[in-house]
Amino acid sequence: MTVGPQFVLASYREVAAGLRYQGTGLGGAVTARYRKLSAEAGVVRVTLDPTTGSSATSGFTATEVNAWLAYDLATYASVEAGFIRRTADPEFDAQSVGAVRIGARSFYEIGPGATVLFRANYLAAPKFSGGGHAGFSIDLGLGLDVRLAGRLHGTAGYTFQRINRKTNPGGTGEIDAPIQATVARVGLAVGF
Amino acid sequence: MTRHFRVLALLVGVGAPAVAGAQAVQNATLRRAQQAYDNLEYRQVVSLAQAALRERLTGAERARAYELLGFTYGALDSILKAVDAFKQVVLIDPERQLDPNRVSPKAYSAFDVALRQVLLVRQLRVDSTSFVGGRGAVPIRFTVTQPARVVTRAIGGGGSFVIDSGAWNGQVNLSWPARLASGDPIPAGNYTVVVEARLGQNTFSAAQPIRVSHGSVDTLQSLTSLPGYQYLPETEVPPQSWRPLGLAFLYTGGALVGTLGLESSSLGSSSKRELAVVGGAALVTGFVMTLRKPAPRPAAANILYNRLLRDQIARRNQDIAKENVTRRQQVQLTLVPLPKPGGAGPRCVARPPPSRCSSWLPQPPRPRGWR
Repeated sequence: MTVGPQFVLASYREVAAGLRYQGTGLGGAVTARYRKLSAEAGVVRVTLDPTTGSSATSGFTATEVNAWLAYDLATYASVEAGFIRRTADPEFDAQSVGAVRIGARSFYEIGPGATVLFRANYLAAPKFSGGGHAGFSIDLGLGLDVRLAGRLHGTAGYTFQRINRKTNPGGTGEIDAPIQATVARVGLAVGF
Repeated sequence: MTRHFRVLALLVGVGAPAVAGAQAVQNATLRRAQQAYDNLEYRQVVSLAQAALRERLTGAERARAYELLGFTYGALDSILKAVDAFKQVVLIDPERQLDPNRVSPKAYSAFDVALRQVLLVRQLRVDSTSFVGGRGAVPIRFTVTQPARVVTRAIGGGGSFVIDSGAWNGQVNLSWPARLASGDPIPAGNYTVVVEARLGQNTFSAAQPIRVSHGSVDTLQSLTSLPGYQYLPETEVPPQSWRPLGLAFLYTGGALVGTLGLESSSLGSSSKRELAVVGGAALVTGFVMTLRKPAPRPAAANILYNRLLRDQIARRNQDIAKENVTRRQQVQLTLVPLPKPGGAGPRCVARPPPSRCSSWLPQPPRPRGWR
């Protein structure tokens, strides 16, 4: 079991190329393993501001909660399920999203105490604060865990999220309102 | 004439009883007979020995008197008389042995004939032994000089047990498991092994006291390893390679390709700084791990071997535990022959001749000239 804080970098785009944000924040993560079962949860809080050239006039604060429960199928692969919940503050400055995660991950110990991870999750049944639906939503991840000394671990994680959201504002017809976010988390963790 | 006898005696190799043996002789007549024999005055030996036999003698003196007669008759070529004299000797002292290298062939052959003409149980030996009850036997040896019905018994405080009953002649070797009819070992205590030979109306018995003691059987210790087999390391360090960096490239490349492939065209190219940070960390880690000693990884063959070894040891220990349970219920029998009590000689002759029992005879005289 490990638990520790993380520093977060994030970028966020929604609806059109002009609506883009970038920011930093803090987070925390906890992992646990029991035989072939493993669990992981994390929360990040990021303040996103419009980037240069963005059509957005103000930023917002996004809080994202992720959780996974995985079962090892082989030495280097497991299947996993979980959920994602991201909320925006102020509420209507960006879409809040909730979805179920289903996917798989591959992990490999590249050296003593160093493990890399790659995951691909399908985000099923996403719900948006602004309504709409998404037929295709995916979340890719890259992870790194290095035991630095004793119980101290260094952790890093990258997430790319693409949600093909479609809306039908005012019944005028369905339009694309995609969401794309990338998050990088770098931190420390203590093992128990 | 005397000189002629002396020469003849030397030629045929008739020896004289040794002086050393005469020290135990109390009877004056017998001493004179011994002296006459030493001086090769055989006629005098015969008369003096016969006179001594008519007097009151101890068993040892009586045996010596007959032995003097046997040697003397042998020297005088009276073989039948020599045989008769030696018969008396062995009846008094059944364990008497002549050394063929030290006595004349005539005397020795007469002694041998005498041995085969009387029923004797000689050289009864019970060896010291120790064994787990039911898994060993006590070796008992004796010699019967004539074909006879021989019954061997162990008699003691724990009861009387028939060891063997059969017709025997010559050297006899018996194995006595020292068990009761129920299979239990005989009770501890002192016993006397009695060998009784019967031929017609003649009987002869010999006895040997023994002590039987009980002890606990040593249990076996559990095994922690098998001799010649050692556990192998269950991990092995693979040779250093570029694999860590390659894997870091592979995983980072997967994330990069996925990101590029899944980017929305309408949203434009996303920021790559997040991927650069994490991917860069992964690549650096991969490079460092490439330079470091690789992590030990499980050695499947060794793990399997160790498991087999552990199973084997566990199985052996189970067998040992079962064996120890059995051993704790077993008895270690230790059997030691005891010295024969003085005066209670193992031999008694019923008939003929008239019953004479003696215990330990002193060393018989040795014939002169056969050293």
